[in-house]
Amino acid sequence: MAELQKDVPPIKSVQVESLVVMKIVKHCSSTFPTAATGSIVGMDNNGLLEITNAFPFPTADVSNTDGHQTTDASSLAAAAPRAKANIAYQKEMIKHLKEVNVDANNVGWYTSATMGNFINLNFIENQYHYQRDNDQTVALVHDVSRSSQGALSLRAFKLSKEFMLVYKEGKFTTESLQKSKLSFRDIIVEVPVIVHNSHLLTSFLHQIPAPPESAEIPIPTSLEDIQRDPAQLPAHPSFDILDLSIDPFLEKTCDLLLESIESHYSDLNNHQYYQRQLTREQFKITQWQTKRKAENAARLAAKQQPLPEDEWQRLFKLPQEPSRLEGMLNARQVDQYSKQVDSFTATITAKMFAVRGNLLPE
Amino acid sequence: MAVEKEHFVHLARPLAPTMGFASSAPLTVNIQPQAVFSVIDHAVRRDTRDTQSTRVIGALVGTRSEDGSEVEVRSTFAIPHTENEDQVEVDVEYQKNMLALTLKASPRETLLGWYTTSHELNSFSALIQNFFASPETGTFPHPAVHMTLSTEPGAPLETKTYISAPVAVSADRAAESCLFIEVPHKLLFSDAERSALGTVGAAADLESRAAPVATDIETLTASLENVSGLLERVSAFVGEVLDEERHGSHALGQYLMNALSLAPKVSSTQVEADFNNHVQDVLMVSYLANTIRTQIDLAQKLATSQLIGFDKPADGDKKDGEDGGRQDGRGRGGRGGRGGRGRGGGRGGGQQREPREPRENGE
Repeated sequence: MAELQKDVPPIKSVQVESLVVMKIVKHCSSTFPTAATGSIVGMDNNGLLEITNAFPFPTADVSNTDGHQTTDASSLAAAAPRAKANIAYQKEMIKHLKEVNVDANNVGWYTSATMGNFINLNFIENQYHYQRDNDQTVALVHDVSRSSQGALSLRAFKLSKEFMLVYKEGKFTTESLQKSKLSFRDIIVEVPVIVHNSHLLTSFLHQIPAPPESAEIPIPTSLEDIQRDPAQLPAHPSFDILDLSIDPFLEKTCDLLLESIESHYSDLNNHQYYQRQLTREQFKITQWQTKRKAENAARLAAKQQPLPEDEWQRLFKLPQEPSRLEGMLNARQVDQYSKQVDSFTATITAKMFAVRGNLLPE
Repeated sequence: MAVEKEHFVHLARPLAPTMGFASSAPLTVNIQPQAVFSVIDHAVRRDTRDTQSTRVIGALVGTRSEDGSEVEVRSTFAIPHTENEDQVEVDVEYQKNMLALTLKASPRETLLGWYTTSHELNSFSALIQNFFASPETGTFPHPAVHMTLSTEPGAPLETKTYISAPVAVSADRAAESCLFIEVPHKLLFSDAERSALGTVGAAADLESRAAPVATDIETLTASLENVSGLLERVSAFVGEVLDEERHGSHALGQYLMNALSLAPKVSSTQVEADFNNHVQDVLMVSYLANTIRTQIDLAQKLATSQLIGFDKPADGDKKDGEDGGRQDGRGRGGRGGRGGRGRGGGRGGGQQREPREPRENGE
C-alpha cells in the first residue's frame, strides 16, 4: 500500500454523480430501517474520485419483519460487502456495466446509517476489505434519518494510512497503540463530497418544478384557484429544514449516546477483568518462582542439579489483552454523536430565536 | 384518457383471452427519478464509435400493482445494441444476465419494459417491443411499457410512455409491427428523495454543475434567505396595492388573511417561558453530549498513555494498592479489585488506568 501511495495522489475529494446520489437514497430509504449496502464504481482522477454509478448488493429478502429477523437482515446487509457471493456478484455486475461504457472500476461501497451510527467493526472491516486491494476506495454513508430533516446527508470516509498498517497486524494492545501513536480520531478520514450533474441532467433538472419564469403571473380570481393549484415549490432550497420539531432527533441521539456509553462500560469491564486476571497470573508466577528458587537453593545445598527456572513460561499462560479497537471505535462514535448534537443545536437555536422574534416583536 | 382506453379495448390481443384488458392496461406509469437519471446517464455514455444509431436502449425494472393498472419504474439498466438502416441487434444474452443480476438485488421487482432515448417509433421499435412483450423473454401477460426520453440537444427533455397492441396485415409480419398507444405517466418523488433532489438541484443552478453537500446550517441559511425573500415579495405586493399602484385581488387577500390567522395567539410570558425551556433543554443535551465526548476522549487517552514518573515499574505493586484505595475512596460507585489492574511489571511498566465511565452524565 505504501508503494501505491507514491505514484497515486491520495483522494482529496469525492465527486458523486447525481445518479449515484439518487440510487443510494432510493436503496437506503426503501430498506430503512434495515441497513443497506451496495457497491460504487467510478474512476480516480488525480486525487478527485469520480463516482459514476452504483448498484445494490443482493440481500436476503425478509418478508415478515419481526424484530429478530430485522436485526438478522441488518447484520447480513452490513456484512454483505465482504461476503464471497457478493464479491462474485460485484465482479459480474461490473463486467456487465463495462459493456455499456460505465466506468468499470470498483471504488468502494456505500451503506446507510441512522443518526450517524455507522462506526462499528463491520464498517471498518468492509472498508479495510476494499482499501487493502486498492487505496483509492471510499465508503459513502447516507444517513436516512438526518436526510429526512431536509438536508441530504451523504458523507465519504476512508481509513487512514496509519490505521491500515495497524489493522493489518491485527494488534490493538495498549503497547502497540502506544508505539503507533494511533488515537481514535485517526481511524477514519472524512473526504469532502461534491455532487455533480451531467449537462443533459442539468437541463432535465431545470424542467422539474422551478420558480416561475416570469415575475408576472395571472392573478387568481378566487380562493379556490389557489387551493386547487398550489405553488410548486422548488426542491432547493427546501423548506423541510425549517421544521421546528427537533425533539425526536435529539431523543434518538441521546438513546444512541447511552448505548455508546453502555458499550464503553462493557469494554471497560473487559479490560478490568483482564487486568485482574493478569495480576492473578503474575502473582502465581511470582509464587512459583520463589518456590522454585527455594527448591533450587535446597538442591544446591544438597549438591544436586538446579531445576530450570524458566519453566513458568510453559506452566502459566498470561491472558490475552482484549483488543482496544472496540473502545476506539466507540470513542469515535461518541465523538460523532456529540458533533451531531452540536449541529442540531446550532440549527434549532436559530429557528427558536426566529420563532420568538416572530411571536414577541420587540 | 378515455380515447386511449377505447383504442385499447378494440385492439385486445387474442393471445390472452382470459385477461380483462381494460384492467391490465397500465393506466398510469409512475417513474421514479433515479430511473430517469439512469436513462440520462446512459444517453450520455452512448457509444458513438461502432454504431450509427443515435439512440440507446435499456430495460425498465420496477413493480406492478396487483391489478396491473399501475406500474412503477424503479430502476433501469442499459442494454448494448447496434442499429443501422437494415437491421437492429439487441444483446439478448446480456439482457437476460443483467435482468437476473438486477432482480437478485431487488427480488420484489420485475421487468416492465424498455426505454430508448428518442421519440421516434419505427419498425425496429416494434420489433424490440414485441421482444419485450413476448411470453418467453418479456412481460407477458402484462403489456410491456415503452418509455421514450428525447435527448435532442437544445430541446426540452420529454418523456413519453407507451404500451402496444399487435397489429399486422398478415401473420408473418406480426413480429415486426405493433401499435403503440400512449399512456399517461408521471414522475414520482418520495420524501426521502426530496432532500437528495435539493442537493442535486443546487448543483444544477451552478455553472460548474457541481456543488458540495451542504451542512445543516448552510441549508438553513439558504432556506431562511429564500423565505425572507418570498415574504418581502408578498409585502411589496401588499404595499403596492395599498398605495393603489396596482389592483388588489380578493382571492390573494383572502388567502393571506387565512395564512395570517394561523399565527397562534399566546401570551408573551407563555412564549418566553416555553422558549426558554426549550432552548435550555436543547443546550443541556448539547452540553451533556460534549461532556460525554470529553470523558470518553479522556478515557481513551489514559488507556493508552504511559504514565512515566508517576508509577515506577519497580514499586508498582505498592502504588497499585494505593491507587485502588484512592479510586475507591472517591466514592463514585467504585468496585473493589480495581486497584490491582495495570500491574504491568513484566510488560515494561505500561501503567494504564481508565477513568470512571461517565454514565452519570448521560442520564
